[in-house]
Amino acid sequence: MSTTLVDSPAPPRQEIRHKRRPPYLPWLLLSATMILLGVLTGYPVLRLVVMSFQEYERAQLMGQPAEWVGLGNYAEVLTDVEGFWIVLGRSFLLMVFLVVTTLVLGMLVALLMMRVNKALRLLVSVGLLLAWAMPALSATTVWGWVFDTQYGVVNNLLTRITGDDWFGHSWLLNPLSFFLILSFIVVWGAVPFVAFTLYAGLTQIPEEVMEAAQLDGASAFQRFRLIQVPYVRSIITVLVVLSMIWDLKLFTQVFVLQDIGGDRELTNTIGVYIYQTGMAQGHYGLASAVGVIFVAVMLAIAYPYVRRTLREEEL
Amino acid sequence: MIKVRRRLADTGFGALAVAVFVFSAFPVYWMVNTSFLPNNKIRGRDLAFFPTPDVFTLNNYRSAMFGEARAPFPPAVLNSIGVTFLTLVIALLVGFVAALALTRFQFKGRRTFIVLILVVQMIPGEAMIISVFRIIDGWQLLNTIIGLTLVYAAGVLPFTIWTLRGFVNGVPKELEEAAMIDGCSRAGAFWRVTFPLLAPGLVATGVFAFLQAWNEFVTALVVMQRPEAMTLPLWLRTFLQATQATNWGAVMAGSVLIAIPAVIFFLIVQGRMTGGLVSGAVKG
Amino acid sequence: MNRNRLVGAAASAITLTLALSACGNAGGAASSPEETGPGEVRVWLVGSDTPQDARDYLKETFEEENPGSTLTIEEQAWDGLVDKYTTALSGSDAPDVVEIGNTQAAAFTSSGYFREITAEEFETLGGDDLLPGFVEAGDWEGKHYALPYYSGSRVVFYSEQVLGDTAVPTTLDEYVETAVDLHTKDLSGVYWPGQDWYNALPFIWENGGFVAEQAEDGTWEAGFSSEGGLKGLEQIQTIMTEGNNAPADTNETDLQVPFCEGQVAFLSAPSWIQWSINAPEEPEDPDGVPGCASTYGSDLQAFALPGKDGGAAQVFAGGSNIAVAQKSARPDLAMSALEIILSDEYQSILAENGLFPAKTSLFEKVDQSTSIGTAAAEAAANAKLTPASPKWADVESQMILQTAFSKIASGEDVKAVAEKLDADIEEILNS
Repeated sequence: MSTTLVDSPAPPRQEIRHKRRPPYLPWLLLSATMILLGVLTGYPVLRLVVMSFQEYERAQLMGQPAEWVGLGNYAEVLTDVEGFWIVLGRSFLLMVFLVVTTLVLGMLVALLMMRVNKALRLLVSVGLLLAWAMPALSATTVWGWVFDTQYGVVNNLLTRITGDDWFGHSWLLNPLSFFLILSFIVVWGAVPFVAFTLYAGLTQIPEEVMEAAQLDGASAFQRFRLIQVPYVRSIITVLVVLSMIWDLKLFTQVFVLQDIGGDRELTNTIGVYIYQTGMAQGHYGLASAVGVIFVAVMLAIAYPYVRRTLREEEL
Repeated sequence: MIKVRRRLADTGFGALAVAVFVFSAFPVYWMVNTSFLPNNKIRGRDLAFFPTPDVFTLNNYRSAMFGEARAPFPPAVLNSIGVTFLTLVIALLVGFVAALALTRFQFKGRRTFIVLILVVQMIPGEAMIISVFRIIDGWQLLNTIIGLTLVYAAGVLPFTIWTLRGFVNGVPKELEEAAMIDGCSRAGAFWRVTFPLLAPGLVATGVFAFLQAWNEFVTALVVMQRPEAMTLPLWLRTFLQATQATNWGAVMAGSVLIAIPAVIFFLIVQGRMTGGLVSGAVKG
Repeated sequence: MNRNRLVGAAASAITLTLALSACGNAGGAASSPEETGPGEVRVWLVGSDTPQDARDYLKETFEEENPGSTLTIEEQAWDGLVDKYTTALSGSDAPDVVEIGNTQAAAFTSSGYFREITAEEFETLGGDDLLPGFVEAGDWEGKHYALPYYSGSRVVFYSEQVLGDTAVPTTLDEYVETAVDLHTKDLSGVYWPGQDWYNALPFIWENGGFVAEQAEDGTWEAGFSSEGGLKGLEQIQTIMTEGNNAPADTNETDLQVPFCEGQVAFLSAPSWIQWSINAPEEPEDPDGVPGCASTYGSDLQAFALPGKDGGAAQVFAGGSNIAVAQKSARPDLAMSALEIILSDEYQSILAENGLFPAKTSLFEKVDQSTSIGTAAAEAAANAKLTPASPKWADVESQMILQTAFSKIASGEDVKAVAEKLDADIEEILNS
């Protein structure tokens, strides 16, 4: 992960000593944040940790005292190879695939927008904007309808084109094609943001630089690799980090697609798994343990990034 | 020769651009198309690619908005607008002030705070739903806009602070100092000089607060349980019930109704949004 | 970075949040003192099974009997019902009276979600007249919590316009054969969407298999991979793959649609689907789903699914229970609503609409002059329930059965699916 994150040290800024300001001022400015996050995030996190050491089920929600089980929940989760570990692995694989696909396609679309004339660029922008503005729930529902087993337009068109009977072909039942369609939906919705951002970054490269490179005989690919990529590097870093967090926490699309059809056990990702274990089955203690372990794994992976951020903050 | 190749390439890229447009817009087009078709056309084996006048119908919209078996539409719209607006305002205000504290001040605990803001974003929200539910319940705020808004605001705040921090960092302190020399107070200098420069950043982060509040449905599912307290995503979900006929036409009409305000919002902010993100990323 | 400082900051943040949230917790646990006088009662009914007449009757009668009070019916979806009840019924804004699937009731009766119904109240609400199997489903440790609401078993619908002169099958094997014989590209012998597991249970039971049984030591053993279970599953697969055009991955939604297009010979469905089939082609209500009253609905008939050796098969006893939420703010008004729901008048309305009422004495109110009514009565007489474990609701909410039968419908190896299914069920029931 650290290799994908590039140093982008902020230019050292000279420190000017100011008139003395009250030391409590920053904390005053942070107070609203601390109250809001403390109560609605900090306290739930604390409860999460506490519950992960308890047998906490539906009855406890109704007020029965919870029993302490020590590391019991953790043992159960960590030894559940078929459940937890597979879900975790699947989530990470899916995340990597989604991030790479989104970034590559987003970059290609951004380059395309640089290349075509104004009218076509507007056309592409309109299309991207529509895809971006579509709420995830609507989007998933619509894609589900497009791939509908009986009346979906995809099966209908495939039947016409290939001559075989595609009516009744289920796209969601097979986990592989389920994830194909899921990726479709996610990438379709995520590319616009990436493409717009990269495009905006690419347009900031001074034209003379690109022209000079062209005169020097640099090929399009060389210009891309040696000028464009380095220029938008910090943007790419931010996009990668954001995409990683978002794609790992994927929920709506998986949840809704599973509702439409699909094998829950073979298509669960970590968010849905936590929801199923906790909210649907009432094993809140277990679900909490899964959550804690997941955060620990995330922290381990993000550690280099956190450290880098901290170092930058030394200034 | 080169000209011919150039023209060929132009045509190729033009075709690609059209392909990108078609792929991006197709589901939207298909949604709108289906929403205006009668049920027998929707379920037919002959594809109707356009709601021609002889089959065009508004029945799906009537059914989505006024159908008796569904959760009521008008309160859902109002709830969604209310929650989204309030979330946007709270997240931006609180987040902005916090970003200020984290960039313009040196104080003990600053780095810790920044790390916490980052770490918090890694916690899967689904794991905390039950605790959040109990807190909101304890405050007697179930089924209220305020209750859901607080949850959403807390949810988007870390990201808002994180992003805004980059933008505030991007505005040189020297600008403010110059203004102060010209006789502005610190606050005045900030308000007149720095704040306008941050507008694109506020728009960019606002978009995410908007998306979160407008689209979220799992927390809403738990916090908003009365039919009249539902937000639009919950309302749409009532269309998709097993053991009850799924009226695809109405579902698509409902999806259109949810998407319209989002598209309008995006059209308004679109220009500023991407520019803002870039400057934030480059300078941050 | 200074570790101590981090710990210190975290500790103070935690102290702060604890202080802030202390009041939050107290509010959740405390129950308000019982009020009297007019109030608001919310009744959660699930799905569209309860006819509109019954809803109107409930509201009108309640508001007449309790002047000044209001009763609101809020319709819930079967999808995600357990998830929703788990939180909604534990909150301070809980509904007062709730319908719950009979197989899901135990998850809540065992956890204190429902208000206990005393022996005295039980007597006035119907006592021994209440459907015994459903009373049992709503009991926990010898006390009553959820009472029967209605029951309804699946019957097999057909139209002679489609069936022609093919004889109605009299044994389960014949049923399978007929389905395969009738099947063409455009006609399903039996229309059977892959996720519909309710219809699969009779095949398991009739072939001597079982869903899950509890051993002496309390552990559960699932029986889809038992000898009888496998035989049943093979028959199911034969119908699903060789006698059926329904998609393997969908649930029993919109069953009337293919039927109304004449693409279905046999349709095994709850008896109230007759109203969907017999709806007009062009419904007046914009929300109405079109039926086919003038074509295939005009001569709609039904028979009870035949058993292995003739007679009616043991089918799944579908239906619902009804209960008062423990956290209901007005248990007095909630009980008053429950009384109306279990009254002879209300239950008769259900019976007239083809549902089996909660009271055995009212069974005669179900119209038995048609083949549909007789079939429903025959099926109900032989109906069975799913395993009586509070964890069974989790098996359902996990969609384990739906997934397994989807696989069977798409032609996967029966034995492998059955063994996987049994392992999954045992894991949940024994957890």
